[in-house]
Amino acid sequence: MSFRRLALAILVVAVLVVNALGALIAVRLLSGQTGGPPQVVRASAEVVARGKYLAEAADCAACHTAPGGAPFAGGLAMPSGFGTIYATNITPDPDNGIGRWSADDFWQALHDGRRRDGQPLYPAMPYTSYRGMTRGDADAIYAYLMQLRPMKVANRQTKLDFPYDIRLGMMGWNLLFLRNSLPPTSIGSSPAWQRGRYLVDVLGHCGECHTPRGGLGQMELSQALSGAVLGRVAAPDITPAGLAARGWTGPGLASYLGRGIADQGSAFADMHQVVMLSTQHLTPEDLGAMTTYLLGDSPPPPAPQPAMVAATATAAAGGAGRASYVALCGGCHGLEGGGLPNTVVALRGNSTLRLADPRNLIVAMLDGIGPENFPGDASLQAMPGFADKLSDEQAAALANYLRLVWGGQKPDVTAAAIGGLR
Amino acid sequence: MSLATHPLTLTINGRRYGPIEVPEGMMMIDVLHEMLDLTGSRLGCGIGICHACVVIWDRDDKTSEEVRTCITGAGFFDGKRIRTIEGIAQRDDKGEILALSPVQQAFLDQFSFQCGYCTPGFVNAATVLIERLKRAPVPRGEVEAVVAAALESHICRCTGYVRYYQAVRDVILATPGLTQSGA
Repeated sequence: MSFRRLALAILVVAVLVVNALGALIAVRLLSGQTGGPPQVVRASAEVVARGKYLAEAADCAACHTAPGGAPFAGGLAMPSGFGTIYATNITPDPDNGIGRWSADDFWQALHDGRRRDGQPLYPAMPYTSYRGMTRGDADAIYAYLMQLRPMKVANRQTKLDFPYDIRLGMMGWNLLFLRNSLPPTSIGSSPAWQRGRYLVDVLGHCGECHTPRGGLGQMELSQALSGAVLGRVAAPDITPAGLAARGWTGPGLASYLGRGIADQGSAFADMHQVVMLSTQHLTPEDLGAMTTYLLGDSPPPPAPQPAMVAATATAAAGGAGRASYVALCGGCHGLEGGGLPNTVVALRGNSTLRLADPRNLIVAMLDGIGPENFPGDASLQAMPGFADKLSDEQAAALANYLRLVWGGQKPDVTAAAIGGLR
Repeated sequence: MSLATHPLTLTINGRRYGPIEVPEGMMMIDVLHEMLDLTGSRLGCGIGICHACVVIWDRDDKTSEEVRTCITGAGFFDGKRIRTIEGIAQRDDKGEILALSPVQQAFLDQFSFQCGYCTPGFVNAATVLIERLKRAPVPRGEVEAVVAAALESHICRCTGYVRYYQAVRDVILATPGLTQSGA
């Protein structure tokens, strides 16, 4: 048994013991409610508008609006290593949503991870991040949600595997892992930095994807925002050092978050959704605050674009990679990787190629990227997937060529790695 | 400075071409037009969206698929067999056309196109579909959906697609062996 497994086993036992103790007192502690009258919230238009803005900054819709579903009516399935969790209806429907919830109930969910009936939420609901939210902001979001049209959409039952299906176990988890604030990931003290920390770590809950997770699903806060693997894709390192190593600057990040498109690449996959649902709605001041926090009050200089000449990269990657690039990629991305303005992203300077973890590049090559609309009537056409035109060996050679010539990365992608991502 | 070139050898419409020296980075549509005098394939958008430029790639496993020549470099086709719009109709030994393919004839009969710019792409797409149905027939009730799925990536700016889709559907329904009997 490795140390890691042993530690995990001890942790599981500890959690179960805590659970048992917790269960004993839980009956008294959890004085939750289920009935009660539908709440009527009278809030000023200004508070409702602020709540809408905050709900966008907190990207509630990312999970609480299912694809094709009514806004905030829930239903999105979130597979996890412990089972599938379904986001809930947070419209003010009294039977399916939060129509009977008071502002206190709502605050308790965001701050303590507890439902109105007293049962613990699973941390797929990012109360671990939202715990830092101010009461005033939580109340404004509540006021906004409570004036939405109630949706009679029943919640789907979350079904986790044993022993994670025992919700009371989350009380032990919270004792171990719930913190009042998350550690800062950059150095700063300016008002913009502090506002940015709130937007990134609390409302934006960026760490829920970009911070690696431990064996019990907790954020490893010692490595906050340093990047994590989410199945076939990687959430990149967004610490100041990680961002600068891939060429990110303050203006580049602000453009990426505000418009989805920057010199360093365009938002795709889950981050495209984040831009469309959340960050595009932020004010320029708040976008600036986010980038100030992400990079720190004294941003590190962006690493220069690695300048390996094509011939050297061709030799190092074995020639096959260059041949595939010219045959399949160069028609749109250009032989020099410059892309086409407003149409095709440039590969030279592209952040995804400069990521040490190659999986985002490989998945984009294999699957392609669907056509995407961006804020301000911008759009990018679809990129075809090449899974059926590239063998594992050819795809590995192509990925290595791209990593070498524009990424400054090691050509260490193997055919087996490609096969594993198909 | 001279442009780097690469030798290209391939089979087009049953005829072997090459080796010819092709500048690196030249797209296949330009090779067809400028070097091989096969001008029937149409360059539309140039970024792989409209599908007017597709040719048929005949794979060694007897299946075929469309490939967009405006975004695919000539090197991709080295050693491969393809068909272009010039190779769809039946021809005699002198190259004179004996008969249009059923798809081509149906497009004419049903007035499927007006300006005709997208037509080579539609002919090739429908040809690939019909050959696929010969290998794997579908129930008659699914034909319209199958036609729509096969042609939907092709853009036409004149006719609104209806007559293209109807023509292909009618060819499929009238050709024995493309649909499952009794279904």
